[in-house]
Amino acid sequence: MIGEWFRFLIAAACMVLGLVFMISAVFGVNRFRHALNRMHAAALGDTLGILFVILSLIVMKGFSMDSLKLSIVILFFWIASPVSGHMISRLEAMTDERLGEISVLEKNNGIRVIMEDRDSKIQDLDEEWKKGGNGR
Amino acid sequence: MELIQQAYEFLMTAAVVVLAVMIILSIIRSILGPGISDRIIAVNMIGTMVIMVTAIFSVWLNENYLVDVCLIYAMISFLGVVVLCKVYTGVYLQRKHMKADLGAIEDNLSKQGVEIREEEEVKP
Repeated sequence: MIGEWFRFLIAAACMVLGLVFMISAVFGVNRFRHALNRMHAAALGDTLGILFVILSLIVMKGFSMDSLKLSIVILFFWIASPVSGHMISRLEAMTDERLGEISVLEKNNGIRVIMEDRDSKIQDLDEEWKKGGNGR
Repeated sequence: MELIQQAYEFLMTAAVVVLAVMIILSIIRSILGPGISDRIIAVNMIGTMVIMVTAIFSVWLNENYLVDVCLIYAMISFLGVVVLCKVYTGVYLQRKHMKADLGAIEDNLSKQGVEIREEEEVKP
């Protein structure tokens, strides 16, 4: 009986840790402003989030054929997620023509102010797109 | 023994509810996202969370075949991301080359001495 509760505690800890990773990944994707930063946050959920959630399921299930398949899911994700991340980053680096212009932080009366706003750039790109130029 | 079963069910219910809320937030980001790569990132993360929910259901309902569904879903999600990236890279390159060709035509005309007087005619 105590062993069962011990197993439940391990599974709950892994599940909560994985959910914390997924929550931080989603909030990072929603709060960062550039696509490459968003990809950094999304990779956290793709690797550690799915590792801990499925690890907790393996602990619940015990050692069987299903837990072996679940570990194959983790293995496939760890192989496939960096490849898709590389593809997305290559797409972003190719299509974003203003990638080199990093938004500069400058001191203004002791307060750091973000000089260039990303949204105004994106509005400019949208206007270029409507004119028929090669924006995004 | 009944208490521990209730504890497991509570844990899985809480995990599925949290993941559902996170999927809704990712859908919001995939609609709002300004660029195409932002949308692809959000859709990729939705796929990850759907795989997690499917794996949790496979243990909760004690159905073995849902793990296979999980594995196939992972493969198709990866394939979808790769194909979307290839397609949008191709679209961007095609548009860029089309613009470059138009510029080459204008350069060629200006070397031959042909004047393009569209702008002068527009002004009254």
